[in-house]
Amino acid sequence: MNKSKLSIYGIATAIAVSLIGSASFAADCTIKIGGLAPLSAPGAVGGGEAMRDAMKLAEADLNAAGGALGCDIKVVIADTEGLPEKAAAMMNRLITQDGVVAVGGGYHSSVGVASKDVANDAKIPVVFAETWNDTITGDKQQFIFRIAPLSSWASATIWQSAILAPGLKKVAILTENTDYGIPAAAETTKGLVANGIEAATYGVDIGTQDYSGIVERIKAYDPGYVIVLATGEAGYNFAQQAADAGIGPMDVPFQAGQVALESKAWWENVPDGQYAFVQRIGIPVNLWNDKALKLNETYKALTGKGAIESYALEAYDSIAILVQAINEAGSTDGEAIVTALENIDHDGTLGRIYFPYGSGKDPSVDGKGDEWWHQWPDPAMTVIQYQNEGEDSTDSAIVWPDAYKTGDAIWVSQ
Amino acid sequence: MTFWGVVGAFGTRRAYLKKDMDTSNAGYIGSMIGAATGPVGLIALWLKTPETRKSLLVVPPIAAFALLAISFAFADPSNSCVTNGSFVASQISNGIILGILYGFMALGLTLIYSILGVVSFAHGDFYMIGGMAAYYVTMVWFPGVNPLFGIGFACVSTFILGAVFERIFLTPMYDGRIDRPVEYGILVTFGLAFTLQYFIAATVGSNPVKAKRYFDFPRLHWPSKEDPWLLKTRRGGLELFDTITISNPRFTAAVVCIIVLLMLLYFLHRTWTGKALRAVSLDREAAAITGINPNRMNMLAFALGGMLAALAGALLVQAFSWLPQVGAIPAMRSFVIIVLGGLGSLPGAFVGGIIVGLVESAGTGCIPDPQKAASYIPAYGGIVLLLTLLLRPTGLFGRRFSGGSHGKFG
Amino acid sequence: MSKQQVPLIVGVIIISFLMIFPFVYTANNYPYVMHIMIAGFFYAILTSSWSMLAGYGGQFSFGHMGFTGIGAYTTALFCHYIYLSPEATNICTEFSVGSQYLVIVNPIGITSSTLVQDCLREAMSIWDGSVKVTPMPVWLGIILGIAMGGLFGLLIGLLVLPLRAAYLALFTLGFTEILRAVISSELDITRGQAGLELPKLFENGITIFGRHFDKTDPLPPYFVMLFLLFFCLGVLYWLAQSKFGLFIRALREDQDAAAALGVNTTKYKIMLFVITSMMAAAAGAFFAHYIGIISPNNLMILQMSLVVSMAVIAGIENIFAAAIGAIIIEFTLETLRTSFDVPLIGVEVDMTVWRLVIFGALLMITLRLSRNGIIAPIINYFLRGHVADETVAKRKVSDSSEESA
Repeated sequence: MNKSKLSIYGIATAIAVSLIGSASFAADCTIKIGGLAPLSAPGAVGGGEAMRDAMKLAEADLNAAGGALGCDIKVVIADTEGLPEKAAAMMNRLITQDGVVAVGGGYHSSVGVASKDVANDAKIPVVFAETWNDTITGDKQQFIFRIAPLSSWASATIWQSAILAPGLKKVAILTENTDYGIPAAAETTKGLVANGIEAATYGVDIGTQDYSGIVERIKAYDPGYVIVLATGEAGYNFAQQAADAGIGPMDVPFQAGQVALESKAWWENVPDGQYAFVQRIGIPVNLWNDKALKLNETYKALTGKGAIESYALEAYDSIAILVQAINEAGSTDGEAIVTALENIDHDGTLGRIYFPYGSGKDPSVDGKGDEWWHQWPDPAMTVIQYQNEGEDSTDSAIVWPDAYKTGDAIWVSQ
Repeated sequence: MTFWGVVGAFGTRRAYLKKDMDTSNAGYIGSMIGAATGPVGLIALWLKTPETRKSLLVVPPIAAFALLAISFAFADPSNSCVTNGSFVASQISNGIILGILYGFMALGLTLIYSILGVVSFAHGDFYMIGGMAAYYVTMVWFPGVNPLFGIGFACVSTFILGAVFERIFLTPMYDGRIDRPVEYGILVTFGLAFTLQYFIAATVGSNPVKAKRYFDFPRLHWPSKEDPWLLKTRRGGLELFDTITISNPRFTAAVVCIIVLLMLLYFLHRTWTGKALRAVSLDREAAAITGINPNRMNMLAFALGGMLAALAGALLVQAFSWLPQVGAIPAMRSFVIIVLGGLGSLPGAFVGGIIVGLVESAGTGCIPDPQKAASYIPAYGGIVLLLTLLLRPTGLFGRRFSGGSHGKFG
Repeated sequence: MSKQQVPLIVGVIIISFLMIFPFVYTANNYPYVMHIMIAGFFYAILTSSWSMLAGYGGQFSFGHMGFTGIGAYTTALFCHYIYLSPEATNICTEFSVGSQYLVIVNPIGITSSTLVQDCLREAMSIWDGSVKVTPMPVWLGIILGIAMGGLFGLLIGLLVLPLRAAYLALFTLGFTEILRAVISSELDITRGQAGLELPKLFENGITIFGRHFDKTDPLPPYFVMLFLLFFCLGVLYWLAQSKFGLFIRALREDQDAAAALGVNTTKYKIMLFVITSMMAAAAGAFFAHYIGIISPNNLMILQMSLVVSMAVIAGIENIFAAAIGAIIIEFTLETLRTSFDVPLIGVEVDMTVWRLVIFGALLMITLRLSRNGIIAPIINYFLRGHVADETVAKRKVSDSSEESA
């Protein structure tokens, strides 16, 4: 579209907006916010559906609380399928077809990496909820924010909790071949090796079902700890097939990956999944604020699940924080929202969310890397362990870190 | 080795062509001898150009394989495929178990091909439907019901589905209303696959589901509780000789597969309908003369073939997390197997299945870089497929079809 | 106006509509609609070239998406790893070419942190802007991609010579599967599932007739894809009309008979593969540069099934029908990505999944009832209107001559 056309539209929109504003029938307007979630394969559909439900709940809650700028908000869900090229197209669609003013959600790292440029070019602010790859904020783009932990932090959680295993010498890492799994495996390996522990990485194609060959191979490696960095059903398939072969969670300390948080699906798909460790983002349940507790109840009633997953909380907050920013900015202009986000202090279900580094203060001032740009600095990260068969992830014992600990880890051994 | 294999494949064909001999196996023999013995054997072969004998078909590939294994052992002496005997044993047993399951599924596909001359692209989706049906019966509709009901329901429903589909969509192939029935068959089963997969995605959703283990193993320790070196079982698996572990669902599935296979053989060889099926696959017209209705047999074959895939699915839904697209990988594998075994050959499907299972196990187990070994799984089958088609398109047990079948109907 | 002229007139209308569409369409979702149109052209090229291969030539290849991937990945790797620099970096692999250095960047694979950088980026940060590094021109990458597609087409064409029908389909399926596995496993170089980023088609924007378009403007890629489609259709039409078309149809009907009549079946079969593969590779290369990222998921059988279904629904034996059908189907599929409430029973129907169920069912029903697809018979009705009369006339003549004999 050429510039003259753009400016005509700009003027037309401005006139329209001022007309509507002066007429002041606020309830009739709707502000649209995009929500990215993987809802079909090869994406992690379980995670995507949880995020979709949470974002729809956010829509209802926020509208009940008055919406944004006196208007109702509407969350437009877009299915990214977990594919980078689809993600770019869906971001494009959200912005130009649906006319969203900001975007939340996002599960797969590849989706975040591929779609952030589209949004940044279109000057639409994005708050990514669950995409971990460091480069998403590391490119220091003006319109890109993130409330998920950095991949390097998440990996640190994993290896720091792993080295506590008594007598640990060798670790096997099973990773999916994506920009979530590969860097996470590399960082975890680095951390383990620095602590004198050997690690071997086994890559798998996403969509693999039969892991028996690789399980035998891992078994021959004889690891003292198994770490799974796979999203989607791959995490279930591998865990159960490892259990069948005698190196599952009940035989070796086993870090099961994010998919295990969905307790109902976990126990259905991995009946021998007792004693698995799971990394969990967000503050522990016993420290939840009223907002999170209330959301948990509504979410359970809506979905029939045992408890809300951490990425659903993140998705909820990503929408809520955008609405607060729109209200504080007093407009839906992208740059105004960004300014509001940079100064925001949001009381979310995950805790207090703020972005200390941005155009006001570069991360390098505090000697931080570029990836701290527009990054929430302290998402709480814990490691839980399913100590009783069939229990909910929210009822499980938190075994790491010491600050949140509610129980001791049970170390199974062969 | 690869080089001499390629030289052998092309050179031998030429050598045979020059002497005006049957070249159908020349490329295959040449490449295998070239790979196994290099230029020495090739020159001898080109000079003598012996008639195709069974020994020529069997010995060179074994020699080539042995050479490959030995050179691998020298190239990477620390690999656990070379040093660790029990690892090799467990990979081989794993490959055989997988092979039985794959082979069983491929059996249905090859049955369809032998009668209808059509490669069904919907085979993977029958597998998926079978698993879903068993899951729904045992977990959702009647929780706690005997899993046999689930398996039975899966078989019956897919049998009906196959029969109805065949009646509605495949019948135009038989009476010459369609110029190129083979392509039509591929396309229309392709459409069925597409529809079924998205229909399940739309109605069931894409969350992974799984049936409960059909039964738990009793705890056994043999010969003694203290030193169970022969056999040890847990509820989820069993361990033989302290080295080989077989998971419970796979073991159950493999045993059922073998039982059903025996039943199928009985059916094909001892009952009138079975004999009629085989007769049609051998010679359509001759069978029709003896009073067999070949079109009825088409319906039976398609429904039965789909049912076999569904049975495999119903048995494996307790082993794998089930999704609408779960059938794509086994379908591809079945294609590989039936080509390797020879399109339309029942024993070929079973032997092919075991070979493919072993190849996959060897690939996953022996490729030195652990980061890549498992991610190449889809390629192993593809390589077997390509090599078979290039060297010996008739496969291991391929036979030439006489009479009207093989895509040309009456 | 006679009946035969109708398709011609409709064709002219369609072409002029496509030519002026981006200038007259001004709704808010302009970029999105343009995106769908460009994707539609992409599928139209694939579908029409596949219908040439499968419909005219009878070569049921499931490897068409594989060639698309070869084209796209060739140019992606070329643009990603090769640069020209006026000064030596001394840390990369480089060759001196005249006054310039051809720099081959080392692959760093998928990284999470921005701290890991390839050798060229390291050298550039040392130079700190004092040296200007030129990326390779996109068009050269695309040409290489097309050439590579042709090369693989030749290879596959040679290998599948003795294979027919189901064997051919399975062979090409296996080929695509291997290609996908390699790309997704060799992620140090290809970045696997993370996707390989490509420069935009016009990375620095382009100025045409004094008007400047920046790199994200959909108008230049729209016309590039449209002209590529026209070009491909032109070539395909010309081929179909020529002796070549006659011969490959003969191949399809009866290869042995054609060979016996002196048609060089080998030559024509291989030519057919090379030409259609090059078209697929060209479409893949251009489209990848337009999208800006390519991942091995494009090679999945589902993508291929989309192309096959489009061709079959539209009409597999008519390249124009296939092209038009592809655009219409792509447009419908994209616009159906919504959900709506069924008014009476209050159930929300999510069309995102149901649209593909309907699509699959449509494929089966089309095959069953109208084997030439939906659009091709319409075109044929107008074009071949006279043929029927002619045949009738001829039959009459022959009948009468028989009677007299």
